[in-house]
Order: sequence, then C-alpha cells, then structure tokens
Amino acid sequence: MKKNVNLAVAIGSLKIKNPVMTASGTFGYGEEYAGYVDLNKLGAIVVKGLSLKPRLGNPPPRIMETAGGMLNAVGLQNIGVEAFIKEKLPYLKNFDVAVIANIYGETYAEYSKVAARLSSVKGLHALEVNVSCPNVQKGGLSFGCDPRAAAEVTRRVKGETSLPVIVKLTPNVTDIAVIAAAVEKAGADAVSLINTLTGMSVDLKTRTPHLKNITGGLSGPAIKPVALRMVWQVVQRVSIPVIGIGGIMTPEDALEFLIAGAKAVQIGTANFINPRATMDVIDGITNYLMENKIRDIKDVIGTLRT
Amino acid sequence: MAKEIFIGEIVSNEEIQKEFFLMKVKLDLSFDDPQPGQFIMIRIAGLNDPFLSRPISIYSFSRGKNYCTIELLYRVAGKGTRVLAGLIKSSQVEINGPLGGSFEIKADKKQIIFIAGGIGIAPLSLLAKQLYRSGCSSKESMSFYLGAKTADAIVGLDKLQKLCYNINVRTDDGSFGRKGLVTEAFQKDMKKYSATDTMIYACGPKAMVKALSKILTGTKFHCQASLEERMACGTGACVGCAVGIKDNKGNLTYKRVCADGPVFDIRQIVWE
Ligand SMILES: Cc1cc2nc3c(=O)[nH]c(=O)nc-3n(C[C@H](O)[C@H](O)[C@H](O)COP(=O)(O)OP(=O)(O)OC[C@H]3O[C@@H](n4cnc5c(N)ncnc54)[C@H](O)[C@@H]3O)c2cc1C
Ligand SMILES: Cc1cc2nc3c(=O)[nH]c(=O)nc-3n(C[C@H](O)[C@H](O)[C@H](O)COP(=O)(O)O)c2cc1C
Ligand code: FES
Repeated sequence: MKKNVNLAVAIGSLKIKNPVMTASGTFGYGEEYAGYVDLNKLGAIVVKGLSLKPRLGNPPPRIMETAGGMLNAVGLQNIGVEAFIKEKLPYLKNFDVAVIANIYGETYAEYSKVAARLSSVKGLHALEVNVSCPNVQKGGLSFGCDPRAAAEVTRRVKGETSLPVIVKLTPNVTDIAVIAAAVEKAGADAVSLINTLTGMSVDLKTRTPHLKNITGGLSGPAIKPVALRMVWQVVQRVSIPVIGIGGIMTPEDALEFLIAGAKAVQIGTANFINPRATMDVIDGITNYLMENKIRDIKDVIGTLRT
Repeated sequence: MAKEIFIGEIVSNEEIQKEFFLMKVKLDLSFDDPQPGQFIMIRIAGLNDPFLSRPISIYSFSRGKNYCTIELLYRVAGKGTRVLAGLIKSSQVEINGPLGGSFEIKADKKQIIFIAGGIGIAPLSLLAKQLYRSGCSSKESMSFYLGAKTADAIVGLDKLQKLCYNINVRTDDGSFGRKGLVTEAFQKDMKKYSATDTMIYACGPKAMVKALSKILTGTKFHCQASLEERMACGTGACVGCAVGIKDNKGNLTYKRVCADGPVFDIRQIVWE
C-alpha cells in the first residue's frame, strides 16, 4: 500500500529515496543507531562533523537539558578524516543509503584539504559544509556569520570536489537569507539550516555556567519555530534546494518544514530520546500523503499558502 | 542485534526512605540480561520537560516466563527523578537498554572490595549478587564499604547483608555507622588486604572516586570505578557524556561514559 506514494526527492544531483536525513553530530557514524533503525530506509545519513586532524573536543560538562531542548558544547570532537575513511566509511558502504560527510575547518585551506581528501574516496554522496559551529573558540566570528567568508569557503570546497556541496548555515546572524544568497552565488548546490542557536544556562547552587565552555548550542523542539521561520525566509531568497533542520520530533514537524519549502529535512536531537524518530517521521509522512490522497511528496513541498 | 525502546509497565514505585525510591518495572522478554554496571535510559513518553531520558543503573533483574522485571533504586536529585517518583503502579515508561559496558569480573582475585557512596550502591549490589550466585566469590571474601551524608541516605543495606560478610558504613555526621568518609574507612583497612589478590569496585560521587584514586596511587590495587556524567543519548552518538581518560600513551582523550564506560580503570581517569 505504501508503494502508492513517491517520497523520492533530489538535492541537486543527489537523488534520495525519501526526504528524511539524520543531522550531523546526532547520529554518530551510523553504527550507533544501526541496531534501532534500518539504515537502508533513511533518505541520507549525515555523519558527525569531520576535521582534517582528530579533535579532542571541549572539557566536560558538555551538555545541559533546557526546556524542550538541550545545550551542547561538544566542541566538534571527532576522529578526523583519515580515521573516518579507514574505520567508519567501510561500514556505511554496506548500506543502500546516501552518506553525506559533514566537514569543518578552521582555515580556508583546511576546508579545501578535507573536501579534497573525501572526494578521493568512494562511498560518499555529498559534502555538507559546516560553516557555523558556534562552540569552538577560534578568534572571533565563525565563517558562517560573514557572507564573504561563507562564500569563500563554498568556492574553495567546490573547487576540490565534484560531489554535491550543501552549505550548512548558522542561525546566529542578523539575516540568514543574505548568507544563503552569498553561498548560492559562490556555487553551493544546496543549503541546510539551522545549526544550533547559541545559548547558556546557570547553576544557582554554584553560580557557575552549567557548561564548562560557558555557552553551548541549543537544539531540540525549543528551536523549531525559529528554524521554520528561517527556512521560509531562505526558500524565498534562493533557488537551490533548502534542507530544513531544527527541533523536528514528529512527522507533523517535518511536514511543516516541507510545506514551507524545504526539499528535505534532518532529524537531530530527537534521535537521542527516540532512536527510531527518523523511521517514525518517514512512516508518518507516508500516512499523511495517503490520507490526503497525494501521490508525490513534491506536491507538498513549498505549498505554503500565505 | 535488533534494539528497541521498551515500554515498561511500573509494577511498584515505593519510597523506601525519604527521597529514595525503588521502582519495579515489567519489560518484554526481549530485554537482554543486563550485566552489573549496565544502565538504562528512562523517560516518560511525550514529555517535553524534562526532555531528555535519565540514566539509571540496573539494581536487580529477573527473567520470568512471560516477562522480565528490573528494579531501579534511585534518589530524587532534581526534576527528572522527581517526575519518576510521582509515577504510580501501571504507569508506562520508555526504557532503552541495557546500555554501556559492565564491571570486569576477575576470577583470580581472592578478595573483593566494594566502595560505594550513596546511590552508588545500586550497580555494586547487582555485581555482589552476581559474584555470589555464580560462586565466583564467597560471602567471606566480599567486603563492602558504604558511605553517605547521613543515615537518611543509606539505602539497600539489608540486601547486602545477605551477600557480604564485612560491611563498613560511614556517614559524614555519624548518624549511621562511624563518622567519616568511606574512603578513609577503606584506607585504614588497606594494609589488611593483599594488593595483587584484591579487586576493588567503586561507584559514587565524583569526589569519592577522586579521593579513592588518590589513595590508590602508588599501590598495586586494581580498581574499576563507575562514573556518572549528564547524558543525552546514552548510546554513544552525541559525545555529550565525555570524561577525561588517559590513552595508552598517557595523553588526554575524552571517552563517552555511556558507550566507552560507565566503568573505567580508576588509574586512567584524568581529574580536572
Ligand atoms: C550510568 C549512570 C547510572 C546512574 N545510576 C543511578 C541510579 O542507579 N540511581 C540514581 O538515583 N541515580 C543514578 N544516576 C544519576 C542520575 O542519572 C541522576 O541523578 C539524574 O539524571 C538526575 O536527573 P534529575 O532531573 O532528577 O536532576 P537534575 O535536575 O538534572 O540534576 C540534579 C543534580 O544531579 C546532577 N546530575 C544530573 N544528571 C546527572 C547524571 N547523569 N549523572 C550524575 N549527576 C547528574 C546535576 O548536575 C545536578 O547536580 C546514574 C547516572 C549515570 C550516568
Ligand atoms: C550533540 C550535538 C552535536 C552536533 N554536532 C554537529 C556537527 O558536528 N556538525 C554540524 O554541522 N552540526 C552539529 N550539530 C547540529 C545539528 O546537526 C542540528 O543542526 C541541530 O541540532 C538542530 O537540529 P535538532 O533540533 O533536530 O537537533 C550538533 C547538534 C547536537 C545536539
Ligand atoms: S550520552 Fe550521548 S554519547 Fe554518551
């Protein structure tokens, strides 16, 4: 019965079987959740952010629960691009699923190098460029806060790869649509948004921040309305595909993003409390289409009436 | 191996002492036999506040014909555990587990020492029971050191008395057992034990494990300690529950308490 609806979408040249992806940093390298979900059923897996060299990450405590969400200051701890290729990618190749490498650098050159290295191996289907992590304290603004810097990163990465390039935007800016337009002009094949919103929380007993890093990135249902608003703004501004991220817990949440114009969505924090969240969202979207007698998800995407 | 989120049904949830609860939960037979030191992530379905699941050690486990039962011994520490404390019989909870690694059982060690602070008794109790039942260790060979702030925070002692011959209790104010720290009690007895023949298992607040690690520095005692850190996923995906651990070259790395622990060799823990 489910065969009656078509969930397939295209993000540039990347064709995926449904619009539901995992969000970077919330699904490990896929293995961590393989016992809970059939990875073959996902639209795509976006792996934990990769840097050129392994990264130690921030000292603990790194997370704190907040109303309807959580703060994290993991500090992009990761095994580095070489270990990923050797130890994690072979496992992911066993599945019939698009694998997207999320990449991160501290300099333009580093972005280029990571992109070049990942483009030299088989088994990856796209690169997602994180220009937005607010956690790592490296002299001032992140690349994602400056349209010129974000565009330059995009150009550098595009210059090194023939894989589709998705630029992941930070919400910690005055006008996210300006950044989106800048990376589109620089050649981005798609944009994904939003990354976490910078926040903080204080322990009353000790009068110290709950996080050792003081500030952290807010994620979870608390940020959904903000994410949805930003996706809507960006959709109106660019013509490349937009991937919606932020607080998606249920099929209804995902559908809101799709209706607002996102071609696909990513599920992050929801995985932590419901490892099967992605499956639930896929099933729920299918049911919504069937109930409304819609044959193709494309007839939902971008149908917001205003 | 397929994993799932179990819907557990609460059989009982009693306040056994002020702010300490014993929750008995019925689970499907497909729940794996837990090893001592393993934990579950527990949550009330649909709730956005508290939002995340909470890690709780498995205190006891039994497999019946139609279902499994686990017991959780927990202290009301804040919002999440307070909500758990309010649940009545027949309520449902979401349970993910058993998660994490377990204490390593060393068959060659003649003497077993447990050192627990407060609610740290929970995983060690399951371990003591398993060692005793499996015939690995006799009642005489197991000593338990238990510490807490006050008498009100001593729980689970009755069960232990059936398993361990030698039980030492310390409270900060002397309202139960002798006054003082549990680590000091162990330190005083330390020369009675042969370091190479003894295995120490510890679980408790950071300050306790840290003090113990100091005491053990320069000795040959082998000690495994179960650590606590705030958790989000409990499955190794978020890297939020990091703890500083020395790698084999002695360099600092961050390991995940949920997936790489919660049990670590006490000598490898980096105290900041
Ligand atoms: C592997 C593991 C096993 C555990 N087993 C048990 C158990 O068997 N029984 C039991 O009572 N408790 C256990 N805990 C601790 C328990 O998870 C925390 O007490 C609980 O999460 C606090 O949640 P809360 O919402 O009630 O309190 P909060 O309001 O979140 O916090 C209250 C206080 O507890 C601290 N805290 C919060 N989360 C944790 C945590 N995960 N670990 C340690 N401290 C925390 C906070 O920093 C704060 O000081 C275990 C923790 C871990 C990591
Ligand atoms: C613990 C944690 C780690 C994350 N790590 C990364 C990362 O490495 N790279 C990245 O681009 N985004 C990272 N993110 C951001 C998420 O991918 C996502 O954009 C954000 O959490 C919002 O979605 P959500 O509300 O569904 O979680 C991380 C988020 C969390 C909670
Ligand atoms: S709680 Fe997520 S990695 Fe341990």
